[in-house]
Amino acid sequence: MNRQTLAPGLDGQKAGVVPRPASAGGVQRVRRSFRIDPWSVLWIGATLILLFLVVAPMLRLLISSFQSTDTGAFTLGNYVTAYGNPRRLIGLGNSLFYGGAVVLVSIGFAVPLAWAVARTDMPGKGVVRATVLGAFITPSYLGAIGWILLAGPNAGWLNRVWKAVTGADTGLFDVYSFAGLVLVTALYAFPYIFVFTADALDRVSSEMEEAAHILGMSPLRTVFKVTLPLVMPAVLGGSIIVFLDTVALFGTPAVIALPARINIMTLQLWQFFEFPVRAEAAAAYAVPLVLITIAMLGLQRLILGRKGYVSLTGKGGGRQHMALGRLRWPVLGLCLLVCSLAVFLPYAALAQAAFSRAWGQGFSVANLTLGNFSYLFKEASSRQIILNTFTYSAATACVAVGLALIVAYVVSRRLVLFGGVLAGLCMAPLVVPGIVLAIGFYAVYSAPPLALYGTAAILVLGFTTRFLPIAFANCMAGLRSLNPEMEEAVRILGGSRLLAVRRVVVPLLKKSLVGTWLLVFIPASRELSTAIFLVAAKTRVISVMILDLSENGSFELLAALGFFLLGVTILIVLLGYRLVGRDFLLRKS
Amino acid sequence: MRKANWVPPLWAVIGLGLLAASGARAETAHEQELYDAAKKEGSITWYSGILDQQICDRVGQAFSTQYPGIQVDAIKTTSQVAFQRLLQDLKAGQVQSDVLTTTDIGQMVFLKSKGELVQYVPENGAGLAKALQGVDPEGYFHTGWVGLASIVYNTAKVKPADAPKDWPDLADAKWKNQITFGSPNYSGMVGVWTVAMEQRYGWDYFTKLNDLGPQIGRSIDDAVTVLNSGERIVGMSSVATALRSAAKGNPLAVVYPPSGVLMVISPSGIIKGAPHPNAAKLFMEFQAGPEYSKILVENFEQPLRPDVPPSPGGKSLADMKLFAPTAEQIEKELQPNKAKWRDTFGM
Repeated sequence: MNRQTLAPGLDGQKAGVVPRPASAGGVQRVRRSFRIDPWSVLWIGATLILLFLVVAPMLRLLISSFQSTDTGAFTLGNYVTAYGNPRRLIGLGNSLFYGGAVVLVSIGFAVPLAWAVARTDMPGKGVVRATVLGAFITPSYLGAIGWILLAGPNAGWLNRVWKAVTGADTGLFDVYSFAGLVLVTALYAFPYIFVFTADALDRVSSEMEEAAHILGMSPLRTVFKVTLPLVMPAVLGGSIIVFLDTVALFGTPAVIALPARINIMTLQLWQFFEFPVRAEAAAAYAVPLVLITIAMLGLQRLILGRKGYVSLTGKGGGRQHMALGRLRWPVLGLCLLVCSLAVFLPYAALAQAAFSRAWGQGFSVANLTLGNFSYLFKEASSRQIILNTFTYSAATACVAVGLALIVAYVVSRRLVLFGGVLAGLCMAPLVVPGIVLAIGFYAVYSAPPLALYGTAAILVLGFTTRFLPIAFANCMAGLRSLNPEMEEAVRILGGSRLLAVRRVVVPLLKKSLVGTWLLVFIPASRELSTAIFLVAAKTRVISVMILDLSENGSFELLAALGFFLLGVTILIVLLGYRLVGRDFLLRKS
Repeated sequence: MRKANWVPPLWAVIGLGLLAASGARAETAHEQELYDAAKKEGSITWYSGILDQQICDRVGQAFSTQYPGIQVDAIKTTSQVAFQRLLQDLKAGQVQSDVLTTTDIGQMVFLKSKGELVQYVPENGAGLAKALQGVDPEGYFHTGWVGLASIVYNTAKVKPADAPKDWPDLADAKWKNQITFGSPNYSGMVGVWTVAMEQRYGWDYFTKLNDLGPQIGRSIDDAVTVLNSGERIVGMSSVATALRSAAKGNPLAVVYPPSGVLMVISPSGIIKGAPHPNAAKLFMEFQAGPEYSKILVENFEQPLRPDVPPSPGGKSLADMKLFAPTAEQIEKELQPNKAKWRDTFGM
């Protein structure tokens, strides 16, 4: 018995020769723990990396929040500075409210779109999917400016059209309002929930829907009572990401909330970095956000409770698209409306700048140029920056997905006692505003013994830490929908844990993992606050270039860069389609 | 005949080569001495809170052309990030940067008080415009860049005759819902503007501005974007950013108020314990020299020297009235002003 049970993990192909009971007895477990199981090596290794990536910078953050700026001595003064002012408390309150509102609006956009794309026979699914990813890659700063051009109260295009048509004195929309802020943020945040949900909906087999149908339930009721409840974990997982991301967002609030005079936490936080710098107070201001993250995870657990969300079992059920009949086109119309709000309209407004010599002149043939685009490619430095961005983001996505899958597996299959702690650790980095976290990264990574400053590795590590939560949440949602019985079958047949993961979990979650990869890749490619702290002369990335361009008023170049990013995203989606076949994001099946 | 035609150009090439070689050589004995020492160090790292990365790289290339064998690693971030990184480096005892240029003079005053700067007076400093000399009388930091802030308007929507002439005109009721500027809580230059305006017109100036429903952005440069979009038509902005955008053909014009254009000096200093101290000193000479100012002019920035003419559409410092609060005034007034700003504008 022993030789063979020793072997399978190392030589997966020959596994399954000796059947073993599913639940190993206590004696066996003790004996097994003395062997070096490759799976244990893997997960212990993953945990150690996690400790290094997440715990070190976060601990740094926590410690510095108790340190005096001048002397480094223990103090609670930072918390007094951070919270001893009603304006700051209001800012924090507003941010939480803002995050909640963005989540609700995002769900409103994402879930119907995901359902239409994944479960119906609506036409034009490829366009909708590609556009949603286009919205995702749009830097929030640029999307917000696009909306200012559309819905600025004085000169916004939509308002000018409205005034021209109705003869009214005042415009219809005001982007500088809380509603404007929430809408614009949600338009570029909803893709998180969309990708999570569409992916989960893709996995739900039609058996349960059919059962409901046979029991006389109407199709619409089936959607609300059967289909959507099954993808609850995905919707919740995506919502938590959107919430955390919104609370820590700076770009959109900087261009919309500030002129609208809406007091938001990140705007307050930024002020701590004006001279005299109080980075320690900023850390203190951010610490409660980690507690909020933990509370959200608790809430998630409470909502999901003990209900089952397993939709993927060993017996492969078919997936039947719901026939919409005459409703096909109206549903597509609704989807395209969301796409228009997020991409078509703002990019039309931005196009005026991207293709102009001087965008302030307005549209004229003489003012048209492709010069802004050729400038981006002509300059060796901008080519390098673009290449850096995509390389680092791809590396980040690979590391984050690998790490997240292992840790999520350990947590979801309850293989360790401290799974909850691990889950909390994995989720924490996202909510801490980038600039605060970045100081922790810089302190940990650039100092000896690592001394990674100036290398590409420091950026990849920083991005991996920052976006690990996204990968982790998505992997958890995927694993929840997977019936553990299939892995247990492998174990019963003598296969190792590693084999079960490699040959069962990964293939079944393949689509989901590709989606997760994109969910990390895209935000990593637009991440600014971590990047600005960690870049060196040779390792600059697009987001930092965008900041430069916005600061010297080169809006024409900035808009051209936005178009370039949009084009590249669509290319990546098409390339993925070629590589992975029909089952990638443009799946037609 | 053919052969003879070769000769003059050949001599010209040789002559040019000699000229170039002599140009590459340091000008004075002091510079030569620094250059010899700096060559052994081989490079210099410059944390820049000014300009953008491309211009910083241009500066680095020009430096390496003038002083072959010394490479410049320019790292452009915001001044806040540059300073924060520097503080982390100092804390870790690992100084990564040789020279810091920051838009926030308060940072330099702080570093000097902590003894983190090297005293060095560049010889070329004598050639700087008078207004830019002697920023720190003890020579711990020097002018690395000068920002001008003034009134800017959208020429497509405002006729030159109707445009505000001087600072008090901005508060005129006719600009209700038409005016834009940045915030002192996010922009050091806007902060200095509040100090200057309060000195002149009292805080009441800002109360009046608030009655006009101004659109408040973050950075001083946000005004250019807002004005170009037509969302607002007059504002306070950085002159260089406005000139750069106007040079492309955007409908912007700069007003030079008779009572004075606001001048804000961004200082450069050498960090104590820097790994390349001689190259750093040479870099300070370079920033005070003519080549650096020429690069600034190419990018519509203000030249630091009177012997370098300003960009087309720009003005030289000698041709405009300037006003600049002192470092002490800024240090004393800025913090209270930020608080007053929050009370007045609610943000």
